[in-house]
Amino acid sequence: MLAFIARRLAISSLVLLAATFIMFVLVALSGDPLADLREQSTPQAQAQMAARIKALRLDVPIPVRYFGWLTDLFRGDLGVDKSGHAVSSQLALATTATLQLVVIATLLGAFIGIMIGVVSALRQYSSFDHGITFAAFVCFSLPVFWVATMLKQYMAIEFNDWLRDPVIPLWVIGLVAVFAGLVWASIYKGRWKGKLTTFAIGFAVTAVVLYALSASHWFADPGLGFPFILVVSLAAAAGASTLVAGWENLQPMYAALASAGVGALLYQPLQPVLSDANLLSILGLALLTIVVSWVLGHTLGGLLRRQAIPLAVFSGLLTGGLIFVDRILQAWHSYTVSVRNRPVATIGSETPNYSGDFWHVSLDSAMHLLLPTLALILIGLAGHSRYSRASMLEVMNQDYVRTARAKGLPERTVIIKHAFRNGMIPITTILALDFAGVFSGAVVTEHVFGWRGLGAMFTKSLKEVDPTPVMGCFLVAGAAIVIWNMVADIAYAYLDPRIRLS
Amino acid sequence: MTLNTEHAEPTAAPQGMAVTARTQRQLVTRRFFRHKGALFGLALFLFVFVLAFTSIGFGPLPGWWDKPWTGSGTILDRGRPTLSVIPEFLGGSGIHLGEHPFGQDNLGKDYFALTMRGAQISIIVALAIGLVSTFVGTVIGALAGYFRGWIESALMRLTDVMITIPVLIIGAVVGQIAGNLGPYFLALMLGVITWTSVARLVRGQFLSLREKEFVEAAQAVGTSSRRIIFKHIMPNTLGVIIVSATLAVSSGILLETALSFIGFGVRPPDTSLGQLIQTYRSAMVTRPWLFWWPGIFIIAIALSVNFIGDGLRDAFDPRQNRVRN
Amino acid sequence: MTTSKQGVHIGRRLSDSKRPGETEILKVENLQVSFPTEDGLVQAVRGVSYTVREREVLGIVGESGSGKSVSSMAVMGLLPKSARISGSIRYRGEDVLTMSERKRRGLRGRKIAMVFQDPMTALNPVHTIGDQLAEAVLAHDLIPRKDALARAKEMLDLVGIPQAEARLRSYPHEFSGGMRQRAMIAMAIINNPDVIIADEPTTALDVTVQAQILEKLLEVKDAVDAAIVLITHDLGVIAGMAHRILVMYAGKPVEIGEVDQVFARPRMPYTVGLLGSIPSATVSGERLQPIKGTPPSLINLPPGCPFSPRCPLADDQCRTAEPPMAETESGTQLAACHHWSKLAEATDPTAFFRTNSETS
Ligand SMILES: Nc1ncnc2c1ncn2[C@@H]1O[C@H](COP(=O)(O)OP(=O)(O)OP(=O)(O)O)[C@@H](O)[C@H]1O
Ligand code: SF4
Ligand SMILES: [Mg+2]
Repeated sequence: MLAFIARRLAISSLVLLAATFIMFVLVALSGDPLADLREQSTPQAQAQMAARIKALRLDVPIPVRYFGWLTDLFRGDLGVDKSGHAVSSQLALATTATLQLVVIATLLGAFIGIMIGVVSALRQYSSFDHGITFAAFVCFSLPVFWVATMLKQYMAIEFNDWLRDPVIPLWVIGLVAVFAGLVWASIYKGRWKGKLTTFAIGFAVTAVVLYALSASHWFADPGLGFPFILVVSLAAAAGASTLVAGWENLQPMYAALASAGVGALLYQPLQPVLSDANLLSILGLALLTIVVSWVLGHTLGGLLRRQAIPLAVFSGLLTGGLIFVDRILQAWHSYTVSVRNRPVATIGSETPNYSGDFWHVSLDSAMHLLLPTLALILIGLAGHSRYSRASMLEVMNQDYVRTARAKGLPERTVIIKHAFRNGMIPITTILALDFAGVFSGAVVTEHVFGWRGLGAMFTKSLKEVDPTPVMGCFLVAGAAIVIWNMVADIAYAYLDPRIRLS
Repeated sequence: MTLNTEHAEPTAAPQGMAVTARTQRQLVTRRFFRHKGALFGLALFLFVFVLAFTSIGFGPLPGWWDKPWTGSGTILDRGRPTLSVIPEFLGGSGIHLGEHPFGQDNLGKDYFALTMRGAQISIIVALAIGLVSTFVGTVIGALAGYFRGWIESALMRLTDVMITIPVLIIGAVVGQIAGNLGPYFLALMLGVITWTSVARLVRGQFLSLREKEFVEAAQAVGTSSRRIIFKHIMPNTLGVIIVSATLAVSSGILLETALSFIGFGVRPPDTSLGQLIQTYRSAMVTRPWLFWWPGIFIIAIALSVNFIGDGLRDAFDPRQNRVRN
Repeated sequence: MTTSKQGVHIGRRLSDSKRPGETEILKVENLQVSFPTEDGLVQAVRGVSYTVREREVLGIVGESGSGKSVSSMAVMGLLPKSARISGSIRYRGEDVLTMSERKRRGLRGRKIAMVFQDPMTALNPVHTIGDQLAEAVLAHDLIPRKDALARAKEMLDLVGIPQAEARLRSYPHEFSGGMRQRAMIAMAIINNPDVIIADEPTTALDVTVQAQILEKLLEVKDAVDAAIVLITHDLGVIAGMAHRILVMYAGKPVEIGEVDQVFARPRMPYTVGLLGSIPSATVSGERLQPIKGTPPSLINLPPGCPFSPRCPLADDQCRTAEPPMAETESGTQLAACHHWSKLAEATDPTAFFRTNSETS
C-alpha cells in the first residue's frame, strides 16, 4: 500500500508539472503584460518597463521563462505580479476561502447526491425515481452563474427582508407540506393504502412543524433546545439502527440509543465548556465522542459488535453535531444585529473586520458560505445522483448480490454490505474527476458573490494580463486537484482489494 | 459429451452484414422515437433553433421579426415584456406577442431580437465545440485505445494532464487569447481543449473491442490497422461517439455562457446568451426580464440536448433499461 | 458427519454414496413463471412438477432457455420482482410461496442452498472468503464470529482447499476458478442444508476441474445428508451422478424417470435426440446427431407440442394438441408425447433422428 501511494505521488507530481507547463505557455500567449506601459512614453514608464521585463523575464523565450519560474518555485518563491508585489501573500488569503468552498461543496454534493442516487436506484421506476431523473436533467442544464444570481436575489435579499417578520404564509406551508408528502409517498414501496398513509404523515408532520416555526417566530431567533436534541437524536439513532441492523436483534439499537442518550444528557453540563470553545476543543470533543461511543458499542453490542460500534459512533457524532448547531444558533440573534439584520450574506467570504468569539466567527463564515455552496451543490448533485444510481443498478444485477440473497441474508445487509460497498468503487473515480469541475464552478460563483478567492484573483489578473498571479492561482488549484485525485485513488484501492493487493 | 444442438448460424456474407447493419439502425431509430424524453428534447431543440434563426434572420437571410438586435428605440411601458400567453377567457390579456415580447433594455433595444441573436451565437458555438471536441477526442481515444505501448501511455498521460486543469480556467485563458478573433474561432479553440471525456470513453470502447474475436481475426489475416479501425471498430463505437457528442454540445453551451459571463467568451459587439446575462445582471431588480429570458434559453438548449443524448444512449445501449428487479 | 478422505481420489460414484430416503423434502407442483417484457409476456416456466426425496440427486437437463434456471430460482425465491409466479413449492409440506418473507429467508441458505454456474462472478470481490462464508452462518444463527469462522475453515477443509486457515483471509481474486467453486460449495453446505440446488456448477470450469468438483459435490452431499438438484447440459454427468432425471423443453418437463430407465428406454423424442447426441457404444463410428432447429420463442407459443417443428414423429395431432405428462409403460417414468408408444416399439429410437438428418 505504501509503495502504491509513493508511486501515485510521483505520477501526480509529474502530471502537475506538465499541466503547469501547458498553462504557462497559454498564459504567456494570452497578451502583452507591457501594454499599459507602452502607451505612455514618460521616462518613469520606461524605467517601470525595464523593471517589469526583468521581474517577469519577458526578455527570454517562453520555455526559458518557464524554467525560470519553476526554479523560483522550487526555492519557494512564487514570483511577483506586474506591480512588483509578491504573489504568495495574495494567494494565501485567496486560497483559504476558495478551498473551503470547494471542499465543502464537493463533499456535501457527493454525499447528498449519492444518497439520492441510491434511493432512486432501489426504487427504480417509482415516481420518486422519475422525479429525480427529471430534476437531475434540469440540474445538469443549469448554468452555475444563473443559479448563483437567482440564489442571491431570491434566497438572500428577499429572505433577509422576510426575516424581519418571519411568518410563513399559510399557502406556502400547504404547498411545502403537500410536496413533502408527495416525496415520501413516492419513496414508499407498496400498496395504495400505505402510500396514502405515508403521504398523510409526511404532509401533517411538515405542516405542523412549519406552522409551529412560523407561529413562534422561530426564524427570528432560532435554536434547537434540549428537548428537541434529545428527541431527534434518539429518533435518529433508532432509525439508523432499524435501517442497518433491523428489529430482530436489538443490541445494536441499544448501543446506538445509549450513545445518543448519553450525548443528549450532556447538553446542559457542556454549555459552559462550549462557551469558550475553539476549533481545537471542538475537535477534541468530537474525538472523545467517538471513543465513548466506541466503548458503548463494544460493551452493549454483544455478538453484533460489528454493527453496533459504527451505529453508536454515528449516533454519538450526530448528537454532538446537533449540540454544536444549537450552540451556534445561540449566537444568531446577536450576529444578525451586528450585520444589520441581513444574516444571509451575498458578498465576500466574511464580513470585513468582523470580530467575535468562535461561534460568531463560525456563524459568519457559515452564512457567507451558504449561498455559493448551495449553488455549487445544486450543480454537482445531478452528476452524483445519476452516476450512483447507474452504479447501484449495475451492482444490484451482479451475481454476487444474488449469492448474498441466496445465503439468506436480510435485504438491508445485501444492499449495505454487498451492493453499496461495490457500487461506491466507480463513484470514487467520478468524485476525483468532479473536483476540477467544482473548481470551474467556484470561479463563476466567486464572480457572482464577490468573493476575493482564487477565482476572483485569477479572473482579475488574467484580464489585466498579469501572468504570475494567474500561474499562482492555477498552481494552487492544480495541486489541490492532484492531491484530491490521489486521495480518491487511495480510497479506490482501499475499497477494491483487487487493486490494493496487486 | 455435451448436449449440442445446432443453431441457425447467420452467414457472414457481405449482404448479410448489410442486412444486420440496417436492422441495427432501424432498431436504434425505433428505440429513439419511442423515448418520450428524447422526443421532448428534439421538439424543444428544433423549436428554439427555428425560432432563433428565422426570427431575426441569419447572415444574408432575412427574418420575420421587424426589429433589429442592434438598434435602440423608444421605451414603452418601462420596457416590460408584452408577450402574453394567458387566453382572455382565463382572465389574461390573450395570446399575442405584442410590440416587444421580451421587453426592452434601458436603451430601448428590443430584447427579443437581442435574445435571438444571443441564442444564434450560443447555439453555433455550442455545436462547434461539440463537433471539434468529439473529433479530437475520438482521434485521441481511438489511437490510445488501439495501439499499445508508448502511443497509448503518452496520450493517456496527456489526458491526465488536461483533466488536472479545470475547464473554465484553461477556457478563460484560451478565451483571452482567442476572444478578439470572433466567436467562431473561440468555439474552435474551446473544442480543442475539451476533448478529454470523449477520449476516455472512446478509448474504453476501443480497448474492449480490440480484444474481440472479429478484430483478432482481421489482424490474423493481415488487415491494415487503418482498415481495422475504420471498418471494424469504429462502426461499433459510433453509439458512444454520438452520445458523447451530444453531451459535449450541452456542456459546450454551459462553458461558453459561463466564459462570456466572466468576460472571457464572446465579446461585444457580438453577443451571446451568457454575455447578455453578464451585461444586464445589475438590472436584476429593476428589469428582471433582462435576466430571465437568456437564462431560460440557455436552460432550454442545454436541457433539450441532454434529453436527446439520453434518448440516444438508451437507443444505442438498451441494456440499462432491461426489466429486472 | 463424515470427513473427507485424504489422499488420492478414486472416482467416487453414486453407488458409493448413501441411498435416498423416502421422505419428500421438496415438492414442486405446476410451477409457472412468466416475465412481462417490452415485447410481451415471456412464459419461461409453464407447469413444472417434481419431487426430491431425502439424499436424492435429481438431474435436470434441457437446452439453453428451457427454464431450468428460472424454475430453480423460483424455488430459492431469487427471481426479480417483476416475475409472476404461480403453482406451489413445498418444503417438507409447507408452501414457500405463501410463507412470510422472514420465514422464507430462514429457509434460504439454511435448508435450501444453491451453487451457481459462474464462480468467477458469484463471490463478492471486496470481502474475504472467510467473511463471506461466516456471513452465511451468521445470517441464520447468532453465534460469535470466531465460531462462524471456525466453521468456515472446517468447510474449506471439507471441500479440499489446502491451508484453509490462511485461505479464509484471501479475496476471491486470489482463488482459481475451481477453488472458487469449491468455496461456493462450502458456502452452500455450511448450514447443513436439506437440498442443494446446483445450477450448472461446472460449466464455467476447466474440463480437468469439472470432475473433481462433481465428485466433491457428491462427497459433501453425504457429509451433510443433503439432496441435490443438479442442473446441467451434460447427460454424461447425469448418468454418473443422478438417481432421477427431469428433461425440460420450452419451459415444461417433457420426461421424468429413473436415470437407468430413461437412458435405456426414452419415451419422448426430444430425450431420444439428446441421447442420440451422446457418443455411445451402439452408434460408435457414426457422426453425432444433433437435433436440428431451435427451440420456440417463449412469447406467443404456438398450439400443439412445442417440439413438433423439430420432431421426426410429428403429425397433425402433435401440431394441434399439446401432450400432457402421462405415465408410460412403467409407472415411475412419465413422458409428454402423443406417440411414446412408437418409441417403445422401435429397437433403436435414435434411428429416427439419424434417418431424419440424413435425408434432410
Ligand atoms: N428477468 C427475466 N426477464 C425476462 N425473461 C427472462 C428473465 N429471466 C429469464 N428469462 C427468460 O426465461 C427463459 C428461461 O431462462 P433460463 O435461464 O431458465 O434458461 P436455462 O434453461 O437455465 O438456460 P441455460 O442453460 O442457458 O442456463 C429464457 O428464455 C430467458 O430469456
Ligand atoms: S407429441 Fe408429437 S411432436 Fe411432440 S414429441 Fe411427441 S411425437 Fe414429437
Ligand atoms: Mg441457466
